[in-house]
Amino acid sequence: MITLEDVSYTYPRGERQAIAGVSVKIEPGECLFITGPSGAGKTTLCMAAAGILEHEYGGEKSGRIAINGRDVKEYSSLSEIAGHVGMVFDDPEAQLLFTSVEEEILSALERRGLRPQEIEERLASIMEVTHLTLLRERPPHALSGGQKQRLVLATTLALGTDIVILDEPTAELDEHGTESIISVLQELKASGKTIIVTEHKFARFRNLVDQMAVMEGGKIRALGRPGNLISDEFVRGVIFPDFSGIRDGKDTSHSGDRGPLVSVKNLEHAYGEVEALKGVSLDIFPGEFVAIVGENGSGKTTLIKHLIGLLRPTKGTVMVDGKDAGKAPVSDLAHSVGLVFQNPDHMFFADTVAEEVMFGIRNLGIQDPEQVLETVLDSTGLSHAKDLYPRWLSRGERQRLAIACVLAMRPRLIILDEPTTGLDGREAREVMEILRDLRQEGRTIVMVTHSRQIAEECTDRIITIDAGKIQSDIRREG
Amino acid sequence: MREILQYIHKDAFFHRLHPGTKIFLVLAIGIVTLLTLDIPVLCLILLAVLCMALIGRVLREVLQQMALILAMSVIFILITLITMPNGQVLGYLIPGGYLPVTTGALYAGVLLTLRFAILIISFQIFVITTQPRDLVNTLEKIGIPIDYNLMFLIALRFIPTLQIEATKIHEAQLARGYAPGSGFVGRIKSVAPVMVPLVSNALARTTVLGLTIDMRGYRTRKRTPFREEHMNLPDKVVCVVVGLFLIAFLGTIVLTLF
Repeated sequence: MITLEDVSYTYPRGERQAIAGVSVKIEPGECLFITGPSGAGKTTLCMAAAGILEHEYGGEKSGRIAINGRDVKEYSSLSEIAGHVGMVFDDPEAQLLFTSVEEEILSALERRGLRPQEIEERLASIMEVTHLTLLRERPPHALSGGQKQRLVLATTLALGTDIVILDEPTAELDEHGTESIISVLQELKASGKTIIVTEHKFARFRNLVDQMAVMEGGKIRALGRPGNLISDEFVRGVIFPDFSGIRDGKDTSHSGDRGPLVSVKNLEHAYGEVEALKGVSLDIFPGEFVAIVGENGSGKTTLIKHLIGLLRPTKGTVMVDGKDAGKAPVSDLAHSVGLVFQNPDHMFFADTVAEEVMFGIRNLGIQDPEQVLETVLDSTGLSHAKDLYPRWLSRGERQRLAIACVLAMRPRLIILDEPTTGLDGREAREVMEILRDLRQEGRTIVMVTHSRQIAEECTDRIITIDAGKIQSDIRREG
Repeated sequence: MREILQYIHKDAFFHRLHPGTKIFLVLAIGIVTLLTLDIPVLCLILLAVLCMALIGRVLREVLQQMALILAMSVIFILITLITMPNGQVLGYLIPGGYLPVTTGALYAGVLLTLRFAILIISFQIFVITTQPRDLVNTLEKIGIPIDYNLMFLIALRFIPTLQIEATKIHEAQLARGYAPGSGFVGRIKSVAPVMVPLVSNALARTTVLGLTIDMRGYRTRKRTPFREEHMNLPDKVVCVVVGLFLIAFLGTIVLTLF
């Protein structure tokens, strides 16, 4: 059981309260679902509830937090609290310390004063619940995102706490990965654990949730049973993403006599002995907005990397904007193709937003750089952030900055890999609005996504890839 | 991707040895290697270490380091030729009497190369045949503070992760039209766009890493081992043989001093 009474917190050197006057009570065995835009204070609330802010952080604190009826201040240290509360942070990579699945789980089990016999039994049962038994010898860097996330959860379970707090456990996962996490949480709930989870995908978690908190600007804007909240317009806006009006109904499928912008013929690609693409052929015409969907590991990313020359075909040909993408240098292809990677933090290195955008402009020697900079910052809603440090922006803003960096290079084809990862419904819509505007300017867009909803409501052609092959290629009418 | 210094799960001789035995073995090899000035002895030790790799079924992984060791040897020999001319002149690097190749400098260069090769290879055999958890537990048992063990463990664990991430960042910058060129100059030029995100992302992780370590109780709770590693017969044999060799070696050194 966790109780927060009128809790406020400001980070050291923080300009405003990260959470402000938050009160919530989680009964034993209950599941609290916290949602809201990025920067709303969800992670801070989790860290407050886990006693982390009290014991590990400075800053200004007020209000009362109690874990199992005892004030967090009365616990001697964070490790004592960790006997009651387990926390899964949003970045699984930073929570894996050992070099195999089994070692990682054992490292937690061995610090609990159990007998060897008990340790062995619990190890086996935890690996079974989290579907990791077959992966016990795998090192962390050879695990998929979903597997890493399950391993972090398994290690937290190994600590044997009654309360488990999870911060966006499925943000980077595909539908299958999300489903596997939810099924583990369902078993935990059935075994009587108290669960706090922050997430964007309410629809998927619905059956698990007893109480829902919708946050905005550090405050809880709505709190209660999901059934009671769902009629509220503000809540609906947050939990049910709305993409109406993104598709403009303009028919672009038959672009007259113009030839395809992208033409892929019998593309095969193998990483060593693993065949990632097994004969893919497709044409993309100017002005199309195409979604590529498929599970993790189906070959989506491998395919799009061929369009800009980051990967070269093992067999087959790839033509983009009249250039042979199998041979042309990447810096040459970058004039025609812009690729926005999944994690925006993999590209930022400049001190200001403006410099970050200028990097690509200078590399390609784009005409009129200042003008281009103003235009792209305006079209991505980042004009206010021009002189800020890129890494201080919110997740939604960083994603838009990644798009701005690519737009500034004036490519005819824009490719985006999972552009809505970790964004809430509204932020995802902002990204889609940018893409709609680009398309209306006549650019061609290819977007890789896990979200069927986004693919169906925003794009006019859906290509489904499965096990390295195109399974279906459907153009939508109007 | 080639993985640097990662544990490889196998059922072979060195994998079965107790980590303590392996630490002793590596230390003994290190002591002899650093104390001896005798090139034939160093060659014998190098041969022995390569045989260890063969017995331990990790020869392929060890041989992957050869490019690095060869590059190093060229650099060492060049440096010693330039900075330590000594003994008989065998010829000149630049015709016309510049940069003499001397026996003394060659000897010093080869000595350095052999020492580094032996140290690198024996350390590598040790690390890739020992489960990191056993390593940490053994180090903890012989009295190394847990904070240092964790530092060592985390450094090893994050090597492949950083390799993968550096590749991703490099690709992301290439896609932004960045063409630093290949070769040495290109590598220097590509440092900022790749290293800045790599280091920033790694630093951003440290808070969560630290909290995870505390919440799992590594630094506060006592460990009850699941599998207690015991010294078995092979361990005892290795320890006795290595111990005898070490005593004999140190004995001869002490004798020559007087």
